[in-house]
Amino acid sequence: MADRRTRFALNWSGKLIAGVVIVGAILLFALIGPFFTQDPRDSDNPALLPPGPGNPLGTSSLGYDILAQLAEGARGSLIVGITAGLIAVVLALFFGVVAGYLRGWTDEILSLVTGIMLVIPGLPLMIVIASYLPVRSLWVVALILGITAFAGPAVVLRSQARSLRVRDYVAAAQVAGEKTPRVILVEVLPNLLPLLAAQFLFAVLLAILGEAGLSYLGLGPNGSITWGTMLNDAQGGGALTRGAWWWFVPPGLMIALFGCGLSLINFAIDEVIDPKLRTAPAAAKRVRKARKAGLDKLGTSAGATEPAPSVSDPDRDDRSDDETTEEKERVEA
Amino acid sequence: MIRGKIRGRWLAAAAALTSVTLLAAGCSGSGEGGEGGDNTSAPAAEGQATDRELVVWAGSQTPITPNFNPYNPAAVLHLANGGIYEPLFVYNKIADVPPTPMLGLEWEWNEEGTELTVKLREGVQWNDGEPFTAEDVVYSFTNETAKPPYLKDAVAKDDTTVVFSFDDPSFTNEFAMLGSTLIVPKHVFAEHEKDSGEDADGNALTGLVAWANAENPVGTGPYMVNTTSAAAYTAKANPNYWGGEPKVASLRYVGIDSNQSAEDLLTTGQIDWATMFVPDPDRITASGVYGYLNTPKDPTVLYTCANEDRGCEGEQTDVAVRQALNLAVDRGTINEKAFVGLAKTVSPTYALLGRDDKWIADGMPAEAPQAADPAAAAKVLEDAGYTKDADGFYGKDGKAVELTLASPDGWTDYNNAAKLIEEQAREAGLKVVATTISEAEYGDQRFSGKFELLVGGVVGTSIADPYQIYRDWFTGDFTQDVGTSLGSGEWNFSRYDNPEVNEAVKTASQTNDEAVKKEAYAVVQEHLVEDLPFIPLVVNATQTFYNQKDYTGWPTEEDPYAFPPAWENPSSGLVLGKIAGAGS
Amino acid sequence: MTFYLRRLAFYAITLWAAISLNFLIPRLLPGDPFTILLAKLQRSGGISPSVENSIRLLLGAVEDQTLWEQYVHYWGNLFRGDLGVSVTQFPTPVTELIAGALPWTIGLVGTATVISFVLGIGLGALAGWKRGTWVDSLIPSTTMMQSLPYFWVALLLIFLFSVTLGWFPIIGAYDVFKFDAPEWSWAFVGSVIYHAFLPALTIVISAVGGWLLGMRNMMVSTLSEDYITTAEAKGLRPRRIFMTYAVRNAAMPSLAGFGVSLGFVVAGSLVMEQVFTYPGVGKLMIQAVRNNDYALMQGVFLVITLAVLAALFIMDLIYGFIDPRTRSNNG
Repeated sequence: MADRRTRFALNWSGKLIAGVVIVGAILLFALIGPFFTQDPRDSDNPALLPPGPGNPLGTSSLGYDILAQLAEGARGSLIVGITAGLIAVVLALFFGVVAGYLRGWTDEILSLVTGIMLVIPGLPLMIVIASYLPVRSLWVVALILGITAFAGPAVVLRSQARSLRVRDYVAAAQVAGEKTPRVILVEVLPNLLPLLAAQFLFAVLLAILGEAGLSYLGLGPNGSITWGTMLNDAQGGGALTRGAWWWFVPPGLMIALFGCGLSLINFAIDEVIDPKLRTAPAAAKRVRKARKAGLDKLGTSAGATEPAPSVSDPDRDDRSDDETTEEKERVEA
Repeated sequence: MIRGKIRGRWLAAAAALTSVTLLAAGCSGSGEGGEGGDNTSAPAAEGQATDRELVVWAGSQTPITPNFNPYNPAAVLHLANGGIYEPLFVYNKIADVPPTPMLGLEWEWNEEGTELTVKLREGVQWNDGEPFTAEDVVYSFTNETAKPPYLKDAVAKDDTTVVFSFDDPSFTNEFAMLGSTLIVPKHVFAEHEKDSGEDADGNALTGLVAWANAENPVGTGPYMVNTTSAAAYTAKANPNYWGGEPKVASLRYVGIDSNQSAEDLLTTGQIDWATMFVPDPDRITASGVYGYLNTPKDPTVLYTCANEDRGCEGEQTDVAVRQALNLAVDRGTINEKAFVGLAKTVSPTYALLGRDDKWIADGMPAEAPQAADPAAAAKVLEDAGYTKDADGFYGKDGKAVELTLASPDGWTDYNNAAKLIEEQAREAGLKVVATTISEAEYGDQRFSGKFELLVGGVVGTSIADPYQIYRDWFTGDFTQDVGTSLGSGEWNFSRYDNPEVNEAVKTASQTNDEAVKKEAYAVVQEHLVEDLPFIPLVVNATQTFYNQKDYTGWPTEEDPYAFPPAWENPSSGLVLGKIAGAGS
Repeated sequence: MTFYLRRLAFYAITLWAAISLNFLIPRLLPGDPFTILLAKLQRSGGISPSVENSIRLLLGAVEDQTLWEQYVHYWGNLFRGDLGVSVTQFPTPVTELIAGALPWTIGLVGTATVISFVLGIGLGALAGWKRGTWVDSLIPSTTMMQSLPYFWVALLLIFLFSVTLGWFPIIGAYDVFKFDAPEWSWAFVGSVIYHAFLPALTIVISAVGGWLLGMRNMMVSTLSEDYITTAEAKGLRPRRIFMTYAVRNAAMPSLAGFGVSLGFVVAGSLVMEQVFTYPGVGKLMIQAVRNNDYALMQGVFLVITLAVLAALFIMDLIYGFIDPRTRSNNG
């Protein structure tokens, strides 16, 4: 068994640091921001004030302080996003990994459900479920988003599980007589960790965007404040046409920033899953530098101390990872 | 690496804006009987003839399906209601003046109110060349689809006189008869009575409602249909219009899906006539191209399910709670913030201030209190036996009062009012939870009575008399028990059933005597102000923008000769007949 | 062969399940068209007695069939191609409404999706080919683009370009103020393209990032494959390696995703159609759901489901053809 720990070493590149800083800052804002701002539901301020002392981001048409709403909205959006992401990933795990590992009839049935969920138009489904419930809390909205989002990741996880199933260490565990649940949990899952993490982060972003869309339709969480409901209010209150950019722009920017941060982190995780992504750019750089210095003309340049490097990186990791990349990238319906 | 991109893009493409469909509709109302009509004011247009196409947005969304059948309210296009088909008279909803004669010239009631004689205009032609006669009027009131239940018979005494007879005194149905029923050509419509089609569930549909009337509708109005498409429909002037050929040669009604787009088009000067909610009207009128008229007419109120005896549940069935809430709301702030200062003050007597003032009984408050009075609200609750708990909310027997206040998603003015009311109620010690529900749910709740508080509207009367509101919205005959859906024409959502009010309304319906009616209204108003089955908030704005640079003849502040909205049935027809080009 | 048979069986079952769900879903929605319509009419003024009567006549059909009977009836109608009549656009048949909207959706959204795909794949391939250079730093900005809420971008662009600057039209698929109806003329075609520009731009902005990133990652890992090294060693021109070896292999997974995206094109971009008043299929769906227009809702659901399944099936065929590994792995 190869050493799994080196396989998951994160390369702290600039992108990863930037991503972690952004996500961390927003998380912090969501956690402690509301303690430092006004009550977001207090309409005591004059309406539609531009940013100024007392209201750093101005006020809405009802007199709510935008910065306070932004902080509370961060909490709301993040709760929805993270919960929906967790739900989607857990469901994807079940429908994907269990199906991929067990094969046979379990696989057929689970794949069928996944396929149907992929194909049913998600929006009307969401509307029906949302219309059924007169009171929609953040958790309910997260549940709806999670349920309608698990199919995509499930497909990816399933093909991964199918390929991992035939690995040596899994075969070894089965031969040793370990029970199936234990094999899945102990041998298969840890290898899927980076993929799961990537899927989770992506699902979180999708959920936040989805919640913004739902709020736009009026099907967002009742009574809660999220970035999505802020955008909805801003749009309904004619923020743009009345020149109240401070109301319309910040929530959208926050969503974009957060998504950007998540994506940057995802890059780093991608590099763990596929080490070529990490090392290849650096290798290519070396080649280019060498070319510039004339090193590719074999042995004629003075001062050349390194042998001509090849495009493929000699210090790549465990080669058996390469096969999985191909299978992963195939999207099965 | 491919992740759930498929679902992602799909999810991220969730949609839609506020859809405010403003379908034109007429209003049934009540009124005084007696001689009426002014022979002289035919709606002749004064001004230049112009070829410039007038672009109108009356609230249509795309796709537009051609349907000019006034008997199909779900699908009919706005031009039909007034521009093509006309009523006998057009009443002015915003002023207490006699109505404008259209196809009718004058009318007379008999003493008991059981017979109504109407004299018709001569020399009117249908736009296919056939002459307009009393037979058409009789047909318009007696055909299966349009016959009102209270009408006994309609007879054409001669070519220009029609006599309607009723079983009971029908003074209060005057508006419905004279002002809102559109006159249709017998020679065209009679042939389609056996039309059949399918309704939405695939069941057979027969009768006039099944006919789309999409090709060259035949009417007496100032315009005729020219072309239709999924995005817009156009009309051309009727050269044989009895009021003189309209000076504006062609119209174009467009379909727009979001209020934002409509506002943008107004800002860039691409629409000439539209009625919609615009938070900042000064921005549009600044250039001087557009004139602006804000004619509030419909009260916005809080519906409460008030009557325990008919099945209402919740703490709002206690009149003390409703009175406290009435004192706790801050109408000034609600108008300023939720309605952008565009709404007008409401009267708890439901008389439209500025038009119906004479009906407000002595001793009744003309205006609802504009500022919040949490102290008074608290006193009302305490006198009724409520006590404050640790959180500052009033309750009885250890349980705090908690009321749900719902409004439809996307109706932002209502939503905002609800949010403000939640805050204001908290100041007075009442726990109100503001929430939004789907339009479908909203409709369901009101009609079935399964609600506590809802933000809603009351249809303002079309004539200067609050009778219609009292009868349709506050009497026992016009309601059902909770759980049974209200029927057509029943608007008493609160299930209010007060025998004294019922009696007073009945008295007022039997007579045309102003003094008697005033006395009856006094009784009604006393109870409404005391019992508060609805808690009135404001009178909602109706903002009309019109291009005054290129056109003249619009209703204006100085000359409000008609209710100006582009979607209004039927006064939009009157306006269309009067506008002309302005020399610029 | 068994591969295709299995896929066919899968699609058949999925289709049946989707159609059954489509049948059930509208019937689960609360409210009925009558009360919704009444609420809307009242919002704008009021209803005269004759109008009220008509409403009842129109919509007051009594359901006396059991759910199962309705279900069978529904399937029967489906096979006859009868999707019913729309309530909101009475009396237009649903098939006509959808047929009218479909070309616009496929035209605009389809074209925009293809453009995003080609642009994304192209830029992604370049970014992957030139990995480690400044092109790589484009990546963070594209991730930012990908995370913007679509309607937010669309509204901002309209505000900037259509209202403030007046460069682009505000509504419509063509100039509704000039043309009375779609016609075959150069002026009309020009108008269509002019009106399609901004909506297409918004779609491309929000979609290109995803393709770009996926392609770039695939490119980078493909370029480290042995056969690339071999090709280089053989002395092939870089351009040939790029096109024939790298891009072709790297694009395969994206191709699968593209097929599915095309299927979802039919759902249209709901926001886009609402914001731009563009006459597409997505708007029909929203209208139907909001007004409890059962027939229209079911019709649009059906069309979208069929389109997605068809796209998936075709992609499966193509994929199975060009990548034999798929077939063997599924055996």
